[in-house]
Amino acid sequence: MTLAFPSLRMAFRVWRRDLRVFSSLWKGALLPTFLDPVLYLLAMGFGLGAYIASINGIPYKDFIASGLVASAAMWATAFETTYNVHFRMTEYRLYDNVLSTPVEVEDLVLGEMAWACTRAVIYGTVFLIIVALFGLIHSPWAVVTPVFIVIGAACFAAIGLSFTTIVGKVDYFTYYYTLFVTPMFLFSGIFYPLDRLPQWTHVVAWFTPLYHLVLITRGLILGPHLLSVLGNTLWLVVVTAGLFSVPVIWMRKRLVP
Amino acid sequence: MNAVEGRRLYKTYGELVAVDHIDFDVRERECFGFLGPNGAGKTTTMKMIYGLAGVDEGELRVLGLDARKERRKVKSRLGVVPQEANLDWDLTVRENLVQQALYYGAQADGRIDELLALAQLGQRSASKPRELSGGMQRRLLIARALINQPELIVLDEPTTGLDPQARLAVWDLLDGLKDGGVTLILTTHYMEEAERICDRLAIMDQGKIVAYGSPGELRDRYGQPNLEGVFIEITGRGLRE
Ligand SMILES: Nc1ncnc2c1ncn2[C@@H]1O[C@H](COP(=O)(O)OP(=O)(O)OP(=O)(O)O)[C@@H](O)[C@H]1O
Ligand SMILES: [Mg+2]
Repeated sequence: MTLAFPSLRMAFRVWRRDLRVFSSLWKGALLPTFLDPVLYLLAMGFGLGAYIASINGIPYKDFIASGLVASAAMWATAFETTYNVHFRMTEYRLYDNVLSTPVEVEDLVLGEMAWACTRAVIYGTVFLIIVALFGLIHSPWAVVTPVFIVIGAACFAAIGLSFTTIVGKVDYFTYYYTLFVTPMFLFSGIFYPLDRLPQWTHVVAWFTPLYHLVLITRGLILGPHLLSVLGNTLWLVVVTAGLFSVPVIWMRKRLVP
Repeated sequence: MNAVEGRRLYKTYGELVAVDHIDFDVRERECFGFLGPNGAGKTTTMKMIYGLAGVDEGELRVLGLDARKERRKVKSRLGVVPQEANLDWDLTVRENLVQQALYYGAQADGRIDELLALAQLGQRSASKPRELSGGMQRRLLIARALINQPELIVLDEPTTGLDPQARLAVWDLLDGLKDGGVTLILTTHYMEEAERICDRLAIMDQGKIVAYGSPGELRDRYGQPNLEGVFIEITGRGLRE
Protein backbone atom coordinates (compact mmCIF):
# COMPACT_ATOMS: atom_id res chain seq x y z
CA MET A 1 0.00 0.00 0.00
CA THR A 2 1.36 3.40 -0.94
CA LEU A 3 0.88 6.49 1.18
CA ALA A 4 0.45 9.72 -0.71
CA PHE A 5 0.44 13.30 0.51
CA PRO A 6 -3.07 14.73 0.66
CA SER A 7 -4.18 17.40 -1.77
CA LEU A 8 -5.10 20.61 0.04
CA ARG A 9 -7.56 21.54 -2.68
CA MET A 10 -9.45 18.25 -2.33
CA ALA A 11 -9.35 18.40 1.48
CA PHE A 12 -10.87 21.87 1.30
CA ARG A 13 -13.80 20.47 -0.67
CA VAL A 14 -14.48 17.91 2.07
CA TRP A 15 -14.19 20.62 4.73
CA ARG A 16 -16.57 22.86 2.77
CA ARG A 17 -19.27 20.20 2.86
CA ASP A 18 -19.14 20.00 6.65
CA LEU A 19 -19.30 23.78 6.90
CA ARG A 20 -22.40 23.73 4.65
CA VAL A 21 -24.14 21.35 7.04
CA PHE A 22 -22.95 23.18 10.16
CA SER A 23 -24.21 26.55 8.91
CA SER A 24 -27.74 25.24 8.80
CA LEU A 25 -27.52 23.45 12.17
CA TRP A 26 -25.53 25.51 14.64
CA LYS A 27 -28.27 27.84 15.83
CA GLY A 28 -30.43 24.96 16.96
CA ALA A 29 -28.97 21.59 17.77
CA LEU A 30 -25.40 22.66 18.44
CA LEU A 31 -26.02 25.57 20.79
CA PRO A 32 -25.88 23.51 24.04
CA THR A 33 -22.29 22.52 23.28
CA PHE A 34 -21.31 26.15 23.82
CA LEU A 35 -22.79 26.04 27.30
CA ASP A 36 -20.95 22.94 28.60
CA PRO A 37 -17.65 24.58 29.62
CA VAL A 38 -19.55 27.58 30.98
CA LEU A 39 -21.39 25.25 33.35
CA TYR A 40 -18.09 23.79 34.56
CA LEU A 41 -16.68 27.25 35.05
CA LEU A 42 -19.68 28.33 37.09
CA ALA A 43 -19.98 25.15 39.16
CA MET A 44 -16.30 24.54 39.83
CA GLY A 45 -14.71 27.95 39.39
CA PHE A 46 -17.25 30.02 41.23
CA GLY A 47 -18.74 27.23 43.39
CA LEU A 48 -15.66 25.32 44.51
CA GLY A 49 -13.62 28.49 44.07
CA ALA A 50 -15.44 29.99 47.04
CA TYR A 51 -13.63 27.43 49.21
CA ILE A 52 -10.31 27.14 47.39
CA ALA A 53 -9.01 30.65 47.17
CA SER A 54 -5.99 30.06 45.01
CA ILE A 55 -3.63 27.48 43.52
CA ASN A 56 0.06 28.39 43.42
CA GLY A 57 -0.94 32.00 43.86
CA ILE A 58 -3.48 31.98 41.01
CA PRO A 59 -7.17 32.52 41.91
CA TYR A 60 -8.96 29.17 41.50
CA LYS A 61 -11.49 30.28 38.89
CA ASP A 62 -8.73 31.81 36.80
CA PHE A 63 -6.76 28.58 37.13
CA ILE A 64 -9.50 26.30 35.82
CA ALA A 65 -10.88 28.74 33.22
CA SER A 66 -7.53 28.67 31.40
CA GLY A 67 -7.63 24.85 31.41
CA LEU A 68 -11.26 24.57 30.34
CA VAL A 69 -10.41 26.41 27.11
CA ALA A 70 -8.33 23.37 26.18
CA SER A 71 -10.96 20.81 27.14
CA ALA A 72 -13.68 22.70 25.21
CA ALA A 73 -11.57 22.06 22.12
CA MET A 74 -11.09 18.42 23.07
CA TRP A 75 -14.79 17.69 23.54
CA ALA A 76 -15.76 19.37 20.27
CA THR A 77 -13.20 17.27 18.40
CA ALA A 78 -14.09 14.02 20.17
CA PHE A 79 -17.76 14.02 19.14
CA GLU A 80 -16.92 15.12 15.63
CA THR A 81 -14.32 12.46 14.94
CA THR A 82 -16.13 9.54 16.59
CA TYR A 83 -19.92 9.60 16.19
CA ASN A 84 -20.17 12.08 13.33
CA VAL A 85 -17.44 10.51 11.22
CA HIS A 86 -18.75 7.02 11.95
CA PHE A 87 -22.22 7.93 10.72
CA ARG A 88 -20.89 9.53 7.56
CA MET A 89 -18.61 6.57 6.89
CA THR A 90 -20.74 3.56 7.82
CA GLU A 91 -24.39 4.52 8.12
CA TYR A 92 -24.83 7.22 5.49
CA ARG A 93 -22.20 5.79 3.13
CA LEU A 94 -21.37 9.41 2.41
CA TYR A 95 -17.69 8.68 1.91
CA ASP A 96 -18.43 6.07 -0.78
CA ASN A 97 -19.70 8.92 -2.91
CA VAL A 98 -16.91 11.30 -1.97
CA LEU A 99 -14.30 8.68 -2.88
CA SER A 100 -15.92 8.08 -6.28
CA THR A 101 -15.02 11.68 -7.15
CA PRO A 102 -11.40 12.85 -7.52
CA VAL A 103 -11.11 12.99 -3.71
CA GLU A 104 -8.83 10.27 -2.29
CA VAL A 105 -8.79 8.76 1.20
CA GLU A 106 -5.87 10.92 2.41
CA ASP A 107 -7.70 14.08 1.26
CA LEU A 108 -10.84 12.95 3.02
CA VAL A 109 -9.00 12.33 6.30
CA LEU A 110 -7.27 15.72 6.13
CA GLY A 111 -10.56 17.46 5.30
CA GLU A 112 -12.35 15.84 8.23
CA MET A 113 -9.43 16.70 10.52
CA ALA A 114 -9.58 20.29 9.35
CA TRP A 115 -13.29 20.38 10.04
CA ALA A 116 -12.85 18.96 13.55
CA CYS A 117 -10.24 21.68 14.17
CA THR A 118 -12.66 24.30 12.89
CA ARG A 119 -15.30 23.17 15.36
CA ALA A 120 -12.75 23.14 18.15
CA VAL A 121 -11.71 26.69 17.30
CA ILE A 122 -15.31 27.87 17.20
CA TYR A 123 -16.18 26.33 20.56
CA GLY A 124 -12.82 27.10 22.17
CA THR A 125 -12.83 30.72 21.06
CA VAL A 126 -16.41 31.37 22.13
CA PHE A 127 -15.49 30.03 25.56
CA LEU A 128 -12.30 32.10 25.59
CA ILE A 129 -14.40 35.21 24.99
CA ILE A 130 -16.68 34.25 27.87
CA VAL A 131 -13.60 33.78 30.08
CA ALA A 132 -12.43 37.24 29.03
CA LEU A 133 -15.83 38.72 29.89
CA PHE A 134 -15.48 37.25 33.38
CA GLY A 135 -12.17 39.11 33.62
CA LEU A 136 -10.09 35.93 34.02
CA ILE A 137 -7.43 36.68 31.41
CA HIS A 138 -4.09 37.97 32.60
CA SER A 139 -1.95 38.22 29.50
CA PRO A 140 -2.32 39.77 26.04
CA TRP A 141 -0.84 36.57 24.62
CA ALA A 142 -4.30 35.05 25.09
CA VAL A 143 -5.29 36.44 21.68
CA VAL A 144 -3.14 33.82 19.92
CA THR A 145 -4.77 30.96 21.84
CA PRO A 146 -7.01 29.96 18.87
CA VAL A 147 -3.92 29.13 16.80
CA PHE A 148 -2.83 26.65 19.45
CA ILE A 149 -6.34 25.28 19.80
CA VAL A 150 -6.05 24.29 16.11
CA ILE A 151 -2.78 22.49 16.79
CA GLY A 152 -4.17 20.67 19.83
CA ALA A 153 -7.41 19.86 18.02
CA ALA A 154 -5.49 18.35 15.10
CA CYS A 155 -3.89 15.95 17.58
CA PHE A 156 -7.24 15.06 19.19
CA ALA A 157 -8.71 14.59 15.71
CA ALA A 158 -5.92 12.28 14.58
CA ILE A 159 -6.48 10.13 17.68
CA GLY A 160 -10.30 10.17 17.31
CA LEU A 161 -10.15 9.25 13.63
CA SER A 162 -7.68 6.46 14.34
CA PHE A 163 -10.01 5.06 16.99
CA THR A 164 -13.12 5.35 14.81
CA THR A 165 -11.59 3.80 11.70
CA ILE A 166 -9.92 0.95 13.60
CA VAL A 167 -12.84 0.07 15.89
CA GLY A 168 -15.59 0.54 13.31
CA LYS A 169 -18.43 -0.46 15.65
CA VAL A 170 -20.47 2.28 17.30
CA ASP A 171 -21.20 0.00 20.27
CA TYR A 172 -17.60 0.35 21.45
CA PHE A 173 -17.42 4.13 21.20
CA THR A 174 -18.26 4.58 24.88
CA TYR A 175 -14.82 3.11 25.66
CA TYR A 176 -13.22 6.07 23.94
CA TYR A 177 -14.98 8.37 26.37
CA THR A 178 -14.75 6.28 29.52
CA LEU A 179 -11.15 5.18 29.10
CA PHE A 180 -9.64 8.14 27.29
CA VAL A 181 -11.56 11.41 27.03
CA THR A 182 -13.06 11.58 30.53
CA PRO A 183 -9.85 10.52 32.35
CA MET A 184 -7.91 13.08 30.34
CA PHE A 185 -10.48 15.70 31.25
CA LEU A 186 -10.16 14.90 34.95
CA PHE A 187 -6.43 14.18 35.25
CA SER A 188 -4.71 16.60 32.86
CA GLY A 189 -4.29 19.39 35.35
CA ILE A 190 -7.40 21.38 34.48
CA PHE A 191 -8.96 21.27 37.95
CA TYR A 192 -5.80 20.98 40.06
CA PRO A 193 -2.07 20.89 39.41
CA LEU A 194 -0.41 17.48 39.30
CA ASP A 195 2.41 18.63 41.65
CA ARG A 196 1.25 16.68 44.69
CA LEU A 197 0.26 13.49 42.88
CA PRO A 198 2.74 10.58 42.65
CA GLN A 199 5.40 10.80 39.99
CA TRP A 200 3.88 8.09 37.77
CA THR A 201 0.74 10.20 37.20
CA HIS A 202 2.95 12.86 35.64
CA VAL A 203 4.42 10.27 33.32
CA VAL A 204 0.98 9.06 32.24
CA ALA A 205 -0.25 12.63 31.82
CA TRP A 206 2.76 13.48 29.70
CA PHE A 207 1.60 10.94 27.13
CA THR A 208 -1.83 12.58 26.71
CA PRO A 209 -2.45 15.52 24.37
CA LEU A 210 -4.82 17.37 26.69
CA TYR A 211 -2.07 17.75 29.33
CA HIS A 212 0.08 19.58 26.79
CA LEU A 213 -2.75 21.73 25.45
CA VAL A 214 -3.70 22.76 28.99
CA LEU A 215 -0.11 23.86 29.66
CA ILE A 216 -0.26 25.87 26.44
CA THR A 217 -3.58 27.62 27.05
CA ARG A 218 -2.70 28.29 30.68
CA GLY A 219 0.72 29.54 29.67
CA LEU A 220 -0.83 31.99 27.22
CA ILE A 221 -3.77 33.16 29.32
CA LEU A 222 -2.22 33.51 32.75
CA GLY A 223 1.12 34.94 31.86
CA PRO A 224 3.36 34.18 28.97
CA HIS A 225 5.43 31.04 29.57
CA LEU A 226 6.58 30.99 25.99
CA LEU A 227 9.24 28.30 26.27
CA SER A 228 6.73 25.89 27.78
CA VAL A 229 4.23 26.82 25.03
CA LEU A 230 6.77 25.98 22.33
CA GLY A 231 7.83 22.69 23.92
CA ASN A 232 4.26 21.47 24.33
CA THR A 233 3.39 22.57 20.81
CA LEU A 234 6.23 20.51 19.47
CA TRP A 235 4.85 17.44 21.27
CA LEU A 236 1.42 17.95 19.68
CA VAL A 237 2.80 18.50 16.19
CA VAL A 238 5.03 15.43 16.30
CA VAL A 239 2.26 13.15 17.55
CA THR A 240 -0.23 14.46 14.99
CA ALA A 241 2.18 13.97 12.11
CA GLY A 242 3.05 10.50 13.34
CA LEU A 243 -0.58 9.44 13.61
CA PHE A 244 -1.92 10.88 10.36
CA SER A 245 -1.36 7.75 8.31
CA VAL A 246 -3.28 5.52 10.75
CA PRO A 247 -6.82 6.65 9.83
CA VAL A 248 -5.77 6.82 6.17
CA ILE A 249 -4.73 3.18 6.16
CA TRP A 250 -7.76 1.97 8.10
CA MET A 251 -10.29 4.00 6.20
CA ARG A 252 -8.88 2.71 2.95
CA LYS A 253 -9.12 -0.82 4.27
CA ARG A 254 -12.79 -0.26 5.07
CA LEU A 255 -13.93 1.80 2.10
CA VAL A 256 -11.67 0.72 -0.75
CA PRO A 257 -11.18 -2.98 0.06
CA MET B 1 -9.58 2.88 -28.45
CA ASN B 2 -11.78 1.06 -25.95
CA ALA B 3 -13.30 2.98 -23.06
CA VAL B 4 -12.55 0.14 -20.63
CA GLU B 5 -10.29 -2.89 -21.00
CA GLY B 6 -10.23 -5.58 -18.33
CA ARG B 7 -7.64 -8.35 -18.58
CA ARG B 8 -7.61 -11.34 -16.25
CA LEU B 9 -9.25 -9.18 -13.55
CA TYR B 10 -9.28 -10.92 -10.20
CA LYS B 11 -10.53 -9.83 -6.80
CA THR B 12 -11.10 -11.60 -3.50
CA TYR B 13 -12.67 -10.56 -0.21
CA GLY B 14 -10.76 -12.75 2.23
CA GLU B 15 -11.45 -16.32 1.17
CA LEU B 16 -14.24 -15.38 -1.18
CA VAL B 17 -13.42 -14.95 -4.87
CA ALA B 18 -15.71 -12.13 -6.03
CA VAL B 19 -14.30 -11.63 -9.53
CA ASP B 20 -12.47 -14.54 -11.07
CA HIS B 21 -10.12 -13.67 -13.95
CA ILE B 22 -12.52 -11.88 -16.26
CA ASP B 23 -11.70 -10.33 -19.63
CA PHE B 24 -13.87 -7.72 -21.30
CA ASP B 25 -13.76 -4.61 -23.46
CA VAL B 26 -16.21 -1.75 -23.39
CA ARG B 27 -16.10 0.17 -26.65
CA GLU B 28 -16.33 3.93 -26.79
CA ARG B 29 -19.85 5.32 -27.09
CA GLU B 30 -21.58 2.01 -26.55
CA CYS B 31 -23.89 0.89 -23.79
CA PHE B 32 -22.41 -2.19 -22.13
CA GLY B 33 -24.36 -4.30 -19.64
CA PHE B 34 -23.36 -6.66 -16.84
CA LEU B 35 -26.04 -9.24 -16.03
CA GLY B 36 -26.09 -12.04 -13.53
CA PRO B 37 -27.71 -13.37 -10.37
CA ASN B 38 -27.15 -11.84 -6.91
CA GLY B 39 -23.53 -12.15 -5.81
CA ALA B 40 -22.24 -12.78 -9.34
CA GLY B 41 -19.62 -10.03 -8.98
CA LYS B 42 -21.24 -7.24 -11.00
CA THR B 43 -20.96 -4.53 -8.35
CA THR B 44 -17.40 -5.55 -7.51
CA THR B 45 -16.44 -5.21 -11.18
CA MET B 46 -18.08 -1.78 -11.36
CA LYS B 47 -16.33 -0.69 -8.17
CA MET B 48 -12.96 -1.68 -9.58
CA ILE B 49 -13.72 0.53 -12.57
CA TYR B 50 -14.68 3.58 -10.48
CA GLY B 51 -11.98 3.12 -7.88
CA LEU B 52 -13.90 1.86 -4.84
CA ALA B 53 -12.45 -1.64 -4.87
CA GLY B 54 -8.81 -2.54 -5.29
CA VAL B 55 -7.72 -4.78 -8.18
CA ASP B 56 -5.90 -7.82 -6.77
CA GLU B 57 -4.60 -9.16 -10.07
CA GLY B 58 -4.87 -8.40 -13.75
CA GLU B 59 -4.93 -5.21 -15.74
CA LEU B 60 -7.62 -2.55 -15.91
CA ARG B 61 -7.49 0.39 -18.28
CA VAL B 62 -10.20 3.06 -18.09
CA LEU B 63 -10.32 5.85 -20.68
CA GLY B 64 -6.80 4.91 -21.71
CA LEU B 65 -5.42 5.22 -18.17
CA ASP B 66 -4.20 2.58 -15.74
CA ALA B 67 -7.08 2.45 -13.25
CA ARG B 68 -4.80 1.33 -10.42
CA LYS B 69 -2.19 4.05 -10.78
CA GLU B 70 -4.12 7.05 -12.05
CA ARG B 71 -7.21 6.84 -9.95
CA ARG B 72 -7.70 10.56 -9.45
CA LYS B 73 -7.51 11.25 -13.17
CA VAL B 74 -9.82 8.38 -14.01
CA LYS B 75 -12.38 9.37 -11.42
CA SER B 76 -12.50 12.98 -12.56
CA ARG B 77 -13.78 11.81 -15.96
CA LEU B 78 -16.35 9.29 -14.70
CA GLY B 79 -19.91 9.54 -13.50
CA VAL B 80 -21.08 6.99 -10.94
CA VAL B 81 -24.58 5.81 -10.00
CA PRO B 82 -24.09 3.37 -7.13
CA GLN B 83 -26.37 0.48 -6.26
CA GLU B 84 -27.08 1.94 -2.80
CA ALA B 85 -28.43 5.47 -2.58
CA ASN B 86 -25.53 7.29 -0.89
CA LEU B 87 -26.88 10.81 -1.09
CA ASP B 88 -25.83 13.50 1.36
CA TRP B 89 -28.79 13.27 3.70
CA ASP B 90 -27.86 16.42 5.62
CA LEU B 91 -27.98 18.64 2.54
CA THR B 92 -30.96 19.62 0.39
CA VAL B 93 -31.51 18.19 -3.08
CA ARG B 94 -30.01 21.29 -4.67
CA GLU B 95 -27.07 21.39 -2.24
CA ASN B 96 -26.34 17.76 -3.09
CA LEU B 97 -25.68 18.83 -6.67
CA VAL B 98 -23.80 22.00 -5.69
CA GLN B 99 -21.52 20.04 -3.37
CA GLN B 100 -20.98 17.29 -5.95
CA ALA B 101 -19.86 19.92 -8.45
CA LEU B 102 -17.38 21.16 -5.85
CA TYR B 103 -15.89 17.68 -5.34
CA TYR B 104 -15.10 17.68 -9.06
CA GLY B 105 -14.09 21.32 -9.15
CA ALA B 106 -16.70 21.66 -11.91
CA GLN B 107 -18.36 24.93 -12.88
CA ALA B 108 -22.01 24.03 -12.55
CA ASP B 109 -23.99 27.21 -11.88
CA GLY B 110 -26.17 26.86 -14.95
CA ARG B 111 -26.25 23.07 -14.92
CA ILE B 112 -27.88 22.60 -11.54
CA ASP B 113 -31.34 23.74 -12.67
CA GLU B 114 -30.95 21.83 -15.90
CA LEU B 115 -30.13 18.63 -14.00
CA LEU B 116 -32.95 19.19 -11.51
CA ALA B 117 -35.36 19.49 -14.44
CA LEU B 118 -33.90 16.39 -16.07
CA ALA B 119 -34.49 14.43 -12.85
CA GLN B 120 -37.96 15.99 -12.59
CA LEU B 121 -37.02 17.34 -9.17
CA GLY B 122 -37.33 21.05 -9.91
CA GLN B 123 -40.20 21.35 -7.43
CA ARG B 124 -38.30 19.44 -4.72
CA SER B 125 -34.96 21.23 -4.80
CA ALA B 126 -35.32 22.46 -1.20
CA SER B 127 -36.30 19.03 0.18
CA LYS B 128 -33.93 16.73 2.04
CA PRO B 129 -33.29 13.45 0.16
CA ARG B 130 -35.02 11.48 2.96
CA GLU B 131 -38.26 13.22 2.03
CA LEU B 132 -38.04 11.87 -1.53
CA SER B 133 -39.48 8.57 -2.69
CA GLY B 134 -37.08 5.78 -3.61
CA GLY B 135 -37.58 6.46 -7.31
CA MET B 136 -36.91 10.17 -6.87
CA GLN B 137 -33.71 9.35 -4.97
CA ARG B 138 -32.55 7.19 -7.89
CA ARG B 139 -33.25 10.04 -10.30
CA LEU B 140 -31.25 12.40 -8.10
CA LEU B 141 -28.37 9.89 -8.08
CA ILE B 142 -28.42 9.87 -11.88
CA ALA B 143 -28.53 13.66 -12.08
CA ARG B 144 -25.63 13.83 -9.62
CA ALA B 145 -23.57 11.50 -11.82
CA LEU B 146 -23.85 13.95 -14.72
CA ILE B 147 -22.56 17.01 -12.88
CA ASN B 148 -18.98 16.77 -14.22
CA GLN B 149 -20.07 16.02 -17.81
CA PRO B 150 -18.45 12.58 -17.70
CA GLU B 151 -17.18 10.69 -20.72
CA LEU B 152 -18.06 7.38 -19.13
CA ILE B 153 -20.94 6.69 -16.75
CA VAL B 154 -21.08 3.60 -14.57
CA LEU B 155 -24.62 2.78 -13.42
CA ASP B 156 -25.20 -0.03 -10.91
CA GLU B 157 -28.87 -1.04 -11.21
CA PRO B 158 -30.06 2.41 -12.27
CA THR B 159 -33.69 1.40 -12.72
CA THR B 160 -34.23 -0.89 -9.74
CA GLY B 161 -37.26 0.32 -7.81
CA LEU B 162 -38.51 2.65 -10.53
CA ASP B 163 -42.10 2.58 -11.77
CA PRO B 164 -42.55 1.68 -15.48
CA GLN B 165 -42.89 5.31 -16.50
CA ALA B 166 -39.80 6.42 -14.61
CA ARG B 167 -37.90 3.48 -16.11
CA LEU B 168 -38.86 4.59 -19.61
CA ALA B 169 -37.70 8.09 -18.72
CA VAL B 170 -34.31 6.71 -17.62
CA TRP B 171 -33.97 4.69 -20.82
CA ASP B 172 -34.69 7.82 -22.87
CA LEU B 173 -32.15 9.71 -20.81
CA LEU B 174 -29.51 7.03 -21.36
CA ASP B 175 -30.27 6.96 -25.10
CA GLY B 176 -29.80 10.71 -25.16
CA LEU B 177 -26.46 10.50 -23.36
CA LYS B 178 -25.25 7.81 -25.73
CA ASP B 179 -26.24 9.91 -28.73
CA GLY B 180 -24.21 12.70 -27.15
CA GLY B 181 -21.11 10.48 -27.25
CA VAL B 182 -21.05 9.19 -23.67
CA THR B 183 -20.06 5.59 -22.93
CA LEU B 184 -22.37 3.72 -20.56
CA ILE B 185 -21.76 0.68 -18.39
CA LEU B 186 -24.68 -0.62 -16.39
CA THR B 187 -25.86 -3.60 -14.43
CA THR B 188 -29.44 -4.77 -14.39
CA HIS B 189 -31.65 -7.66 -13.35
CA TYR B 190 -34.21 -6.85 -16.05
CA MET B 191 -33.75 -8.88 -19.24
CA GLU B 192 -36.02 -6.68 -21.30
CA GLU B 193 -34.00 -3.67 -20.17
CA ALA B 194 -30.73 -5.26 -21.25
CA GLU B 195 -32.18 -6.24 -24.64
CA ARG B 196 -33.66 -2.77 -25.10
CA ILE B 197 -30.69 -0.57 -24.24
CA CYS B 198 -27.43 -2.58 -24.23
CA ASP B 199 -25.36 -2.81 -27.39
CA ARG B 200 -23.30 -5.60 -25.87
CA LEU B 201 -23.23 -7.35 -22.56
CA ALA B 202 -21.50 -9.83 -20.29
CA ILE B 203 -23.44 -12.37 -18.27
CA MET B 204 -21.63 -13.15 -15.01
CA ASP B 205 -22.00 -16.07 -12.64
CA GLN B 206 -19.90 -16.80 -9.55
CA GLY B 207 -17.29 -14.24 -10.48
CA LYS B 208 -16.84 -15.44 -14.06
CA ILE B 209 -18.12 -14.12 -17.36
CA VAL B 210 -20.13 -17.00 -18.81
CA ALA B 211 -21.44 -15.27 -21.93
CA TYR B 212 -20.27 -12.18 -23.80
CA GLY B 213 -21.55 -10.41 -26.93
CA SER B 214 -24.50 -8.47 -28.33
CA PRO B 215 -28.00 -9.62 -27.25
CA GLY B 216 -28.68 -10.82 -30.80
CA GLU B 217 -25.42 -12.78 -31.04
CA LEU B 218 -26.05 -14.48 -27.72
CA ARG B 219 -29.61 -15.48 -28.63
CA ASP B 220 -28.43 -16.88 -31.95
CA ARG B 221 -25.38 -18.67 -30.48
CA TYR B 222 -27.45 -20.54 -27.92
CA GLY B 223 -30.59 -20.81 -30.01
CA GLN B 224 -32.73 -19.07 -27.39
CA PRO B 225 -35.58 -16.56 -27.75
CA ASN B 226 -34.21 -14.32 -24.96
CA LEU B 227 -31.31 -13.76 -22.52
CA GLU B 228 -33.02 -15.61 -19.70
CA GLY B 229 -32.99 -18.69 -21.96
CA VAL B 230 -29.31 -18.10 -22.75
CA PHE B 231 -28.42 -18.14 -19.05
CA ILE B 232 -30.46 -21.28 -18.34
CA GLU B 233 -28.85 -22.96 -21.33
CA ILE B 234 -25.36 -22.21 -19.96
CA THR B 235 -25.84 -22.84 -16.24
CA GLY B 236 -28.99 -24.90 -15.93
CA ARG B 237 -30.41 -22.23 -13.58
CA GLY B 238 -32.52 -19.11 -13.89
CA LEU B 239 -30.91 -15.65 -13.95
CA ARG B 240 -32.79 -14.26 -10.94
CA GLU B 241 -31.03 -16.13 -8.09
N1 LIG C 1 -17.17 -5.46 0.98
C1 LIG C 1 -17.30 -6.79 0.85
N2 LIG C 1 -16.75 -7.61 1.76
C2 LIG C 1 -16.85 -8.95 1.65
N3 LIG C 1 -17.48 -9.57 0.65
C3 LIG C 1 -18.06 -8.81 -0.30
C4 LIG C 1 -18.00 -7.38 -0.25
N4 LIG C 1 -18.66 -6.89 -1.32
C5 LIG C 1 -19.12 -7.96 -2.00
N5 LIG C 1 -18.76 -9.13 -1.41
C6 LIG C 1 -19.04 -10.49 -1.88
O1 LIG C 1 -18.57 -10.59 -3.21
C7 LIG C 1 -19.47 -11.32 -4.03
C8 LIG C 1 -19.87 -10.48 -5.22
O2 LIG C 1 -20.66 -9.41 -4.75
P1 LIG C 1 -21.20 -8.26 -5.72
O3 LIG C 1 -21.75 -7.20 -4.85
O4 LIG C 1 -20.13 -7.88 -6.67
O5 LIG C 1 -22.38 -9.02 -6.49
P2 LIG C 1 -23.48 -8.45 -7.49
O6 LIG C 1 -23.35 -9.22 -8.74
O7 LIG C 1 -23.40 -6.99 -7.59
O8 LIG C 1 -24.83 -8.88 -6.75
P3 LIG C 1 -26.25 -8.11 -6.66
O9 LIG C 1 -27.00 -8.45 -7.90
O10 LIG C 1 -26.89 -8.75 -5.46
O11 LIG C 1 -26.01 -6.68 -6.49
C9 LIG C 1 -20.64 -11.70 -3.13
O12 LIG C 1 -20.46 -13.04 -2.71
C10 LIG C 1 -20.53 -10.77 -1.96
O13 LIG C 1 -20.99 -11.37 -0.78
MG1 LIG D 1 -24.62 -5.44 -7.08
